Amino acid sequence: MLLALSLVASLALGQEGYTPQRPVADPLDAAREARVQALGKQLRCAVCQGVSIADSPASMARAQLDKVRELVAEGKSDQEIFDYFVERYGEWALMEPKKSGVTLGLWLFPVLLLAVGLWVIWNQSKKAPPAAAPAATPGPAASDAPPADDYLAKVRADLEK
Amino acid sequence: MKKQLAVGSALAVIALVIYIMAKGFGNDPHAVPFLLSGKPAPNFTIKRLDNDATVSLADFKGKPIVINFWATWCGPCQTEHPVLDWAAKKYANQAVFLGIVFEDNEQNTKRFLQQNGWSFVQLFDPKSTVAVDYGVSGVPETYFIDRNGIINHKVAAPFVDPREFVAHMQTILQ
Repeated sequence: MLLALSLVASLALGQEGYTPQRPVADPLDAAREARVQALGKQLRCAVCQGVSIADSPASMARAQLDKVRELVAEGKSDQEIFDYFVERYGEWALMEPKKSGVTLGLWLFPVLLLAVGLWVIWNQSKKAPPAAAPAATPGPAASDAPPADDYLAKVRADLEK
Repeated sequence: MKKQLAVGSALAVIALVIYIMAKGFGNDPHAVPFLLSGKPAPNFTIKRLDNDATVSLADFKGKPIVINFWATWCGPCQTEHPVLDWAAKKYANQAVFLGIVFEDNEQNTKRFLQQNGWSFVQLFDPKSTVAVDYGVSGVPETYFIDRNGIINHKVAAPFVDPREFVAHMQTILQ
């Protein structure tokens, strides 16, 4: 880690007597150069880690971008160029993990989590208590009928006395 | 039954999260993976620093090879200098030692070598193409290549203890 940082720091500082800032290789024609930059955005810089080789100012990142340029000039496909870097650094070299194999789980996990959340909400909404029915207003017929409850009948009888 | 399923699912998710976190915390997040171990060492042809002759990896077919990537501005590279110098002399008849200077310039390197001296061949990688081919991610890095031209492993740290270097050499001298 310290070594990588020292490399980045030294490359960024470009101090006299230390590492020189290399000139970038000549760009290709506009269409192929655009492809080089697009591919570079998808590849991680080996010395600066969180930045793509297209965005990093580090000299080593420019060397990696030169490699992409060389492979594009050789007519390699995007997949062949990704494979070149993955062969050296593993899928760590890709700014976005592949949507296959174990990393497919990374892509599916949020969807799965959302599905579980929706299921929980749906399940809870099914169990919600029904809206309370409005209290029945006892009508005159109801008050005349003999109450079924013995206690209520006794209260009514007491009131009538 | 439904309640058991819900509890089971929740526990499974919690276990998965704990597993992922444990795996993540168990690794150095800044370590750069290296997958060329067990694969053929990429060939190269680059210039020597002491004369204009070029050297190819293929020139040393059948011999164990140690390649040290370094630069003059790298402090740890200077620290390991005596160990590599000692090892190159000790194993002179058993293995080939190559130094590859990258992310540097020739004048700096020649001046450094004149001041410090080196006991093995030093090469110059002006555009870091060899370093990229070898998956270098910092300096110094030392690659141990067996006599069949297969990269046994690399060490992405400076050598301070000669005994440590001997242990690494054993892996390619067998």
